[in-house]
Amino acid sequence: MPIKVENLTKEFNGRKVLNNISFEVATGEILSIVGFSGSGKSTVLKILSGLLEKDSGNITIDEGDIAMVFQYSALFDSLNVFDNISFALQERKEYKHKYTKMQLKEIVAKSLATVGLSGIEDKFPYELSGGMQKRVSLARAIVTKPAFILYDEPTAGLDPVASTVIEDYILRLRDETKATSIVVTHQMSTITRCSDKVIMLYDGNIVFRGTPEELCKGETPYTKQFITASTQGPMKIAASGLI
Amino acid sequence: MEKVRFFLEQTITYKILTLFLSHVKDFLEIFGTISYRFFQVLKYLCTLQINYKQVIEQSSRFAVDSLPITLSIVIMTSVILSMQISPELVKQGGKDFIGLLIALTMVREIGVIMSGFAIISMIGSSQASELATMKVTEQIDAMKSLKVSPFKYLFLPRVIAGVITMPFVVVIASACGIIAGGLTSMAAGKDVTWLCYVTSVWQGLYIRDINIMLFKSACIGGAISLISSSCGYEAKGGAKGVGNATTKAVVLSFVAIVIIDCIFAIAFYI
Ligand SMILES: Nc1ncnc2c1ncn2[C@@H]1O[C@H](COP(=O)(O)OP(=O)(O)OP(=O)(O)O)[C@@H](O)[C@H]1O
Ligand SMILES: [Mg+2]
Repeated sequence: MPIKVENLTKEFNGRKVLNNISFEVATGEILSIVGFSGSGKSTVLKILSGLLEKDSGNITIDEGDIAMVFQYSALFDSLNVFDNISFALQERKEYKHKYTKMQLKEIVAKSLATVGLSGIEDKFPYELSGGMQKRVSLARAIVTKPAFILYDEPTAGLDPVASTVIEDYILRLRDETKATSIVVTHQMSTITRCSDKVIMLYDGNIVFRGTPEELCKGETPYTKQFITASTQGPMKIAASGLI
Repeated sequence: MEKVRFFLEQTITYKILTLFLSHVKDFLEIFGTISYRFFQVLKYLCTLQINYKQVIEQSSRFAVDSLPITLSIVIMTSVILSMQISPELVKQGGKDFIGLLIALTMVREIGVIMSGFAIISMIGSSQASELATMKVTEQIDAMKSLKVSPFKYLFLPRVIAGVITMPFVVVIASACGIIAGGLTSMAAGKDVTWLCYVTSVWQGLYIRDINIMLFKSACIGGAISLISSSCGYEAKGGAKGVGNATTKAVVLSFVAIVIIDCIFAIAFYI
């Protein structure tokens, strides 16, 4: 398996956010991670991309670039959209000086077009709406054609049409580059349209794993509560550290 | 036992003590980080892993942003100094020493120190808050995930810019300070001519002093950037974290300037 996680555990200030989590993702597969706010979804992605240290457990990831789309975009606010998207191509060792300015312009224009935002190369991040920033950060993450893509809520805060554009894009990217992806999301449409497998996190544990169809059937207490968005059920908001 | 502890924890002495200890711990931590960053800078310099484009950009920003405030502070200090000593020296028959005195103080002390203070407030604080904001908004994480070293792209160029730009700024500021001092002394002290001022300045300028000034300002420029960037880089936790990092950077830089100045005074003038 290209991504294999075994018994991953992570604590923050004595609270176990992830408690012995295991899952794996096959090549070209899209795994969705769902769960309440604060259940540790972003933490999983950050550990996979090497931004956070794990406390214990085993992670094996095949050779290849890991790209991450951040939950709050994390665009470089002193650089314009062009420099943001071409950042890796301009500054990373193996790409430096590989492309001419014209080629860079072409690449950036193309990737902006695919996320539906042509012609905003000269704008700065503060001039963009939240949803636009999100799409620019998506374009920035995948400009190097990575083998693994971790999306942290790629469609949160987007209107339904823009969401569909992003979902289509995630699928197309997978078909074109055989990228292996993990998508953290709350959005039902993203789960059903994009993912091959779903896992649900709650209180540090995986309480459901299966296909999107199984999730939608709502046969276990957890999935039932998730799809009906009910406050009644086994999952309590307090346990996710919100109260 | 529990009760005693609970009672103790309520007392003011206990609260002050724990607050004090936590500040000491904070200080030791940041001191450790700064030393660590210092050696990291040396390592990258020795292996020549330098982003020249960023160095040039940061240096020009350093110079352009700092010159107006540095010039005005150094010139004002020199004008005030000259205003106070010129009439007195003229009265005591020492009008030939005005230039010497101003040149000596400018080159040995005031030029560097005042520029340092100006640069902390202008450059240090902005470097700290910029890096801190990038840290808390995950921009530094994003850079790491794009496989570009934030240390090489953000940190090192700022430190190098401090080392190479500060001497220029100080030289310009001191020169302007000396000229302004002369003009003031001509206005304030009777019989002081430009020629007599310049001759006297010439007597007070030593190559050794100027070399030491350049060396000292490079050290101070590097220290300000190193401290400010380190504090920014270690920031955590939202807007408050950015504020804390900036405060820490400014305070520590002030202390560092005084310490460096003291070391130089002991090493070269005793
Ligand atoms: N750097 C940190 N220091 C301390 N605690 C943290 C840190 N990062 C995350 N946490 C805690 O870990 C838990 C999981 O955080 P995480 O960001 O992974 O949640 P999430 O599932 O992504 O939530 P959301 O859907 O709101 O984005 C939260 O309770 C949070 O308080
Ligand atoms: Mg999250």
